[in-house]
Amino acid sequence: MNKEILVRLEKLNQLRLTEEQEAETLAFFAEREADMAIVDAVDTQEVERMVHVMPLENVLREDRAIEPFEREALQAGAPAAEDGYWQVPRTVD
Amino acid sequence: MSLLINKAQETAGKPVVLEDLVLTTAMPTTGGSKMLDGYMSLFDAEVVAKLEAAGYGIAGKANIGEFGFDLMGETSYFGACENEAGALVSAASQLLSASEAQAVVGLDVNGVQRRAAAQAGQVCVKPTYGTVSRFGTIAVVCSGEAVCVSANTAAEAQDVLSAIAGHDDKDGTSLPQAVCEKVKTPAELAHKKIALAKSLTAAADEAVKSCIDAFVAFAQDAGFTVEEIDDALLVAARPAWNVLMSSELCNNVSRFDGVKYGYRSANAETIDDLYTNSRTEAFGELLKNTILFGSEMLSEENYMPRYDKSLRMRRVVVEEFARLFGEYDAVLMPACSKMAYTPAEVAADKFLCFKENMFTAPASIAGLPAVVAGGVQLVGPAFSDAALLALAGQFDAASKTPVACEASEEVR
Repeated sequence: MNKEILVRLEKLNQLRLTEEQEAETLAFFAEREADMAIVDAVDTQEVERMVHVMPLENVLREDRAIEPFEREALQAGAPAAEDGYWQVPRTVD
Repeated sequence: MSLLINKAQETAGKPVVLEDLVLTTAMPTTGGSKMLDGYMSLFDAEVVAKLEAAGYGIAGKANIGEFGFDLMGETSYFGACENEAGALVSAASQLLSASEAQAVVGLDVNGVQRRAAAQAGQVCVKPTYGTVSRFGTIAVVCSGEAVCVSANTAAEAQDVLSAIAGHDDKDGTSLPQAVCEKVKTPAELAHKKIALAKSLTAAADEAVKSCIDAFVAFAQDAGFTVEEIDDALLVAARPAWNVLMSSELCNNVSRFDGVKYGYRSANAETIDDLYTNSRTEAFGELLKNTILFGSEMLSEENYMPRYDKSLRMRRVVVEEFARLFGEYDAVLMPACSKMAYTPAEVAADKFLCFKENMFTAPASIAGLPAVVAGGVQLVGPAFSDAALLALAGQFDAASKTPVACEASEEVR
């Protein structure tokens, strides 16, 4: 991990850190990396990855029509909306 | 200091408080974040419906740290909570002490509720994964978080757990009803043996160890054998959990972009500015660091050695617990390293929650039930929730008369 990678991560995640925060974040990454030595010491070559702890059943079910949320209600908490549309800055010139 | 950040206008039934990751239509849901300040959900969480159907009334929403994964609520946009002794406390535990609330229902993302209950002398149950619907909770760490119950007594916690447990078609990780029913009735603890996690206990201070000692004495009096075990694989759960937690959190909070709801920066001339400035201005420092760490763990370079390795480590921990439960009824361990955290400690190490979760990560990563009472934590096999609560309840009642655990120096 270095500053260059961190700046790329900030851009990818739509975040911006100050110089001071970047230094703290690099220290945070170094701590987490050091932690991983405990895990690296465990041989997991022959261990299958476990995404879910419970055996999950497929929960796909028949489609059925339900009442959708009203557009007005959906947009009641919008930062900016007009005529039923969400407003954002111009995205295409 | 902010405890109850929203109070219900009317409360019918036995009062229960919800932590603020649980969606409600009657009150805003903020997740403790500036991003969702004032956010009103269009639907209630399934646990709200289940609580009301069982005769409980929602008395209000309790303050939490930003998206519920910090040490003790210190990252809340609405301010951290401190007790009279100057220690950090969770709003939920303060409300249980100082109000008529019978219980607090929240989302155990990274063990806050268990730490809080241990320090406040209360009871908390993080149920078996999949037995309580997470529909309508703000998703943070979907593969390990669980709706949990905190209360003053084990009996009250069990009552509320029984009310909210059950299958829900709306939650893809919800287990069948017959399986969920198991958490409502205590099964026999057949082995009559408790495993004591050696290293985890050694990592705690004397005040916490005195609670562990008190439980050991109680269990032996009750006919249990208590044996110290090598818990190296359980200790290794923490770094793996931190990778999985951060990776899932990174994805889950990517939805907060300032477009359709939530905070939007006033300083946004382009769509990229809108996203970046909104997230930068609304998110706290711990959250930003965790997003960035999670993102890096999912990168091409780190996916296999870190993320995939952590998923394999999850199986190692699950299998280690299974091996232990072939011989023992439960694993006894602390829920926290000390009986109080001070704001100064957290200011000196903003990322303490990534270390202190060594006690809560094993049950979280394995989806196992964990019960905190009398300052100790018991982790049991899947669906042993009620049995753990019954045992912990007996200990809790015994330890309160007289007080068995010594207070930490800081809070004396």
